[in-house]
Amino acid sequence: MKKVLKTLLGVWNTKTVVAIAIGAALFGVLMNFGGIPVFTNTRLTTAMIVPVIVGSMFGPVPAFITCFVGNTIADLIGGWGFWFDWSVGNGVLGFIIGLLPFYGAKINEGIFKPVHAVIYAITCVVGNALAFGVITPLLTVAFYGGELTITFLQAFAGGLANTAVLVIIGIPILYALARRSARSTNLVMEEEKEE
Amino acid sequence: MENRLLINLIPGETFLHKLTGKTKVRTFIILLVFIIMSFDMRLILPLFILSIIGLRSLKPNWKTIKYFFIVIGAVNLLNIVLFWVADPDIGAYWCGGGHTVLFSLTGRIYLTAETLWYLSVRFIKMITSFMVSLVFILSITPSEMAAGLYSIKVPYKICTIFSIAFRYIPDIGRDFNNIKVSLQTRGVELDPKKASLKSRLKQNVLILVPLIITSFDRVGNISNAMDLRGYGREKTRTYYSEHEELKADKVFKVIYTLLLLFCVYWIITQNIMPQTFKMWYPFA
Repeated sequence: MKKVLKTLLGVWNTKTVVAIAIGAALFGVLMNFGGIPVFTNTRLTTAMIVPVIVGSMFGPVPAFITCFVGNTIADLIGGWGFWFDWSVGNGVLGFIIGLLPFYGAKINEGIFKPVHAVIYAITCVVGNALAFGVITPLLTVAFYGGELTITFLQAFAGGLANTAVLVIIGIPILYALARRSARSTNLVMEEEKEE
Repeated sequence: MENRLLINLIPGETFLHKLTGKTKVRTFIILLVFIIMSFDMRLILPLFILSIIGLRSLKPNWKTIKYFFIVIGAVNLLNIVLFWVADPDIGAYWCGGGHTVLFSLTGRIYLTAETLWYLSVRFIKMITSFMVSLVFILSITPSEMAAGLYSIKVPYKICTIFSIAFRYIPDIGRDFNNIKVSLQTRGVELDPKKASLKSRLKQNVLILVPLIITSFDRVGNISNAMDLRGYGREKTRTYYSEHEELKADKVFKVIYTLLLLFCVYWIITQNIMPQTFKMWYPFA
């Protein structure tokens, strides 16, 4: 149980803080300037790459905070007012993407196999459905009241676009990251053998 | 990109600018709760007027702001129209079952007085929420925001995330331009006049990869520098940008405390006691 909690939270040293901050800034900027509009308030955004990187390196809770703060920053620099329902939705999505170590895809140790890619794709779909199909509409109703149809349409368009970005760009990135860290772990192994 | 940013990094001169970060963040959060809980013209309209006064007192650069007003107004109007088309009789549920048809185009599309009232309340609510956020954004600097968040017991590592992230945004702009220029020297055409939209989109993705890699490569440098200066050793933290409370801060403290009490009262009475009408409607 304690171990699960530790994987969930990640290690909160200065490196994590800085990585989350830079991730959030990138997320905010890409949300504003790196997207192609699909529907009102939603766009095919490249910002979704950021939680993949942060999540794979630091775990689910850092990914959650990156997305939440990132979306708040996007709202701040975009100047269209705060939409905390969407911030929380994005945060939850980040959390689910960041669950990578729980099904064995340990990017930091260079482990990312095709099985993990498939599970990752499934979690992306489930995560989008949960974040934008359940949590964001619920919060929208709680915060602003009123009709669900529009929010669902927006959520559907946004979720679909996110899933596409997450799967098509996310999986190659995860492979690349895993390969990169695999090299460094091999070095450690050899040194140990020599002793 | 830079000229479209609203955040100011240097503290301003007007009355609202001079408040402490603590006051700004607390007032803003309570006002957000106030806007979210109230679906009532009597509560929203005064705040709407106050936010206009607040915005004027900040003496902002109207040229940049005009753009945001047009976008926000258009998006919200579009949403309102979509709402109306989705269910023209939506007001009957919220305003106590009345059904006063003002005019009707067909049997499916008609406008009732209740729906008009409901939609206008909704529109004012959205615009007020935007206005309050805008006043907040224009009046605060990132370090004041971090200090303010710390004052409401947010762990200071999360406050640091806010201030570093804001500090890093201009760097992203600079890196983006550098990468763009170096790609152009290698013959990638990014000029909007010469390359088609599709190829420009593709090339913008090409810029993205080095942008993300350089950004994350810098994590090590920044965190080492922070560690060397002793970041994260103590449990608490103080902020340089947080000055002594002024007289105005004390006045605001009284106001936001009263407002908070009112919010609690309103939420309890509205949600626990049974209500006949969902919304205050003057013409019922």
